[in-house]
Amino acid sequence: MKLTKARALVLIAFSVPIAIELRTVAGFFNVELPLIAVAVIEFLFLALLFVLYGLYGEGSNAAA
Amino acid sequence: MATARSEHAFVDKFPDEAGVIKATFLVAFVALGIGAFFGLIQALHRTNVVRVIDSADYYTMLTGHGVLLAIVFTIFFLCGVFHWATARSLDRPAESKLFSWAWVGLMLTGTILATVAILGGLVPSLGMSADVLFTFYAPLQAHPIFYIGLAMFIVGTWLAGADWFLSYRAWRKDNADERIPLQAFMVLTTMIMWYISTLGVAVSVVFFLIPWSLGLIESVNPLLTRTLFWYFGHPIVYFWLMPAYLMWYTVLPKLAGGRLFSDPLARVVFVLFLLLSTPVGIHHQYLDPGIAEGFKFIAMTNTMFLLLPSLLTAFTVVASVEHGARQRGGEGYLRWLGALPWRDPAFTGMALAGAMFAAGGFSGMINAGMNINYLIHNTLWVPGHFHLTVGTAVALTMMAGSYWLVPQVTGTKLYSRPIGLLQVIMWFVGMVFMSNAMHRAGLAGIPRRTAEPQYQNFEFLTPIGSIFELRVQIALGGTLLFLSVVLFLFNILLTSLGEESERPVDAYLPEPLSGPEGSPRILDNLAMWTGIAALLVVLAYTLPLAGIIQNGGGLFGGGLPVPATVSAGLDFVLMTVTSAFNTLLGVVA
Ligand code: HEM
Ligand SMILES: [Cu+2]
Repeated sequence: MKLTKARALVLIAFSVPIAIELRTVAGFFNVELPLIAVAVIEFLFLALLFVLYGLYGEGSNAAA
Repeated sequence: MATARSEHAFVDKFPDEAGVIKATFLVAFVALGIGAFFGLIQALHRTNVVRVIDSADYYTMLTGHGVLLAIVFTIFFLCGVFHWATARSLDRPAESKLFSWAWVGLMLTGTILATVAILGGLVPSLGMSADVLFTFYAPLQAHPIFYIGLAMFIVGTWLAGADWFLSYRAWRKDNADERIPLQAFMVLTTMIMWYISTLGVAVSVVFFLIPWSLGLIESVNPLLTRTLFWYFGHPIVYFWLMPAYLMWYTVLPKLAGGRLFSDPLARVVFVLFLLLSTPVGIHHQYLDPGIAEGFKFIAMTNTMFLLLPSLLTAFTVVASVEHGARQRGGEGYLRWLGALPWRDPAFTGMALAGAMFAAGGFSGMINAGMNINYLIHNTLWVPGHFHLTVGTAVALTMMAGSYWLVPQVTGTKLYSRPIGLLQVIMWFVGMVFMSNAMHRAGLAGIPRRTAEPQYQNFEFLTPIGSIFELRVQIALGGTLLFLSVVLFLFNILLTSLGEESERPVDAYLPEPLSGPEGSPRILDNLAMWTGIAALLVVLAYTLPLAGIIQNGGGLFGGGLPVPATVSAGLDFVLMTVTSAFNTLLGVVA
């Protein structure tokens, strides 16, 4: 399945609430996640999405 | 397919109705723009990020924001949608063009009066203000033209409902044995609920608040006006929600590439909302003294029943959307989600609105629980909750729906789909920030409706993160939301200025998988459902109201309120009935 711009945007949107509440989830397991860790995780996710978009995105000719 | 292509655009088939709908949408969008601007000012002010108003003016802004968004934007838009749905599904124009314009005019005049009174608060020399918040109950008092405007607005909605009932009556004459078309059924049941529930607020405004603001009576019974407000204040929630449900049931499945699963189920859901919406308003008054605990408990159990139609809706709409995805080649347990038309802002916006509504539903259950409510009552949690429900489930569905509806009434193509997509996603992200932080701030005990949430010598504590982060999130979210509204208005403006198109949008709505034939005829018996709904209201409210009048010092207040018990209410009713009976005996004898 091709990663269209629209699908990428929706994925980014859904990553936001997950990132925000990541610390709560970690808290259930007695892990105190600092804000900066969450920022890094979200950043890594966005970077990954970016790479995937380059590989399988609309403009690319790789079949998904 | 052939029928889809040959179908006329709505504007060609019903030019007069399209004109009325355009007017209602225009008012709605102007209110949305101003209201969102006030929202931004508040969000930045109360988080202490940027302050452009005096803190003393915070209530003026908040009143403008609440009234313009939660009352004017939503209800004007809804009237447009209902006008469209009635003409479309009954396949006939309104009975009288003049009558349609009369209700638009009345609602608009009322809106202008109320808005002038609110904004008057910013110009002290006028001596006019209405800083009473959108809940407008005593002891806060507004200038009389605020209440008069409000009354005109409500009567306007009554006439709008009459317009649709007249259409229905005319249709019924020509189609004696047919089932009421689904969209018309939804419009009519919603309006019956509205008639029943606005009765309470009309009594409050006409008999108490207007005479009181004019100085004709000295005082009102605050608990009585509060109760009459919430008698309408809960059902108005469903008045906002029903047009969104109408679009989720009848338009969203089509946008997803499929069709509605079950027409009979949709009818059952609307009937349940008609029956259950009104007898629950006391769940907003768990902390009001003067209402017996027992009545509060009954309101709570009634409220929990309302989960049923909401869950039925969630299942039906998701099932219909999944069906659409599979029609488009989607497979797997969850992979079908990828096959949905995410590029279409109308679809994506409604889908995201639905997803956020689920979250809002959960925080709503917490509000409804009598004991948990005490924890979050009047904290920022509450605006967090209703920005997910009315502020997103409804408002975002209306904006997203506009991308599909507006072209039908203007005859022009949507200006930009990518901007539309960006807009709905920005709303989603902005609302995640703002409302999540509001919920958390509420748990930390930060009050709502205050310009200055900081107190001297007192520190709010959060279990995770800091209050500072929450403030930043609220300000950031509010800014994204405002920008999203700007993009929306820009896109719609350019759409309506665009060139006429042969086929502005694919307006065809497919038949449900399971049609109305399968549902019992009794579902269409509107008179019977109205009777049952009214009976439930009488059962739920007679005793509490009697108690409130008795404990709160009579109809017009004045006395000191006393703590209430169920038996006090009962005694009062018994006493009244006995004395009425004795009088009657006296007359007869
Ligand atoms: C630009 C988007 C919006 C922003 C930035 C925003 C922000 C806010 C803020 C900061 C408050 C004040 C909370 C307090 O001090 O208690 C508030 C209250 C409120 N908002 Fe919004 N909001 C937005 C959109 C909406 C929408 C779309 C609706 C409804 C359709 C809505 C309905 C309300 C209501 C009813 C209140 C409560 C007013 C009161 O307490 O009397 N808002 N909003
Ligand atoms: Cu309620």
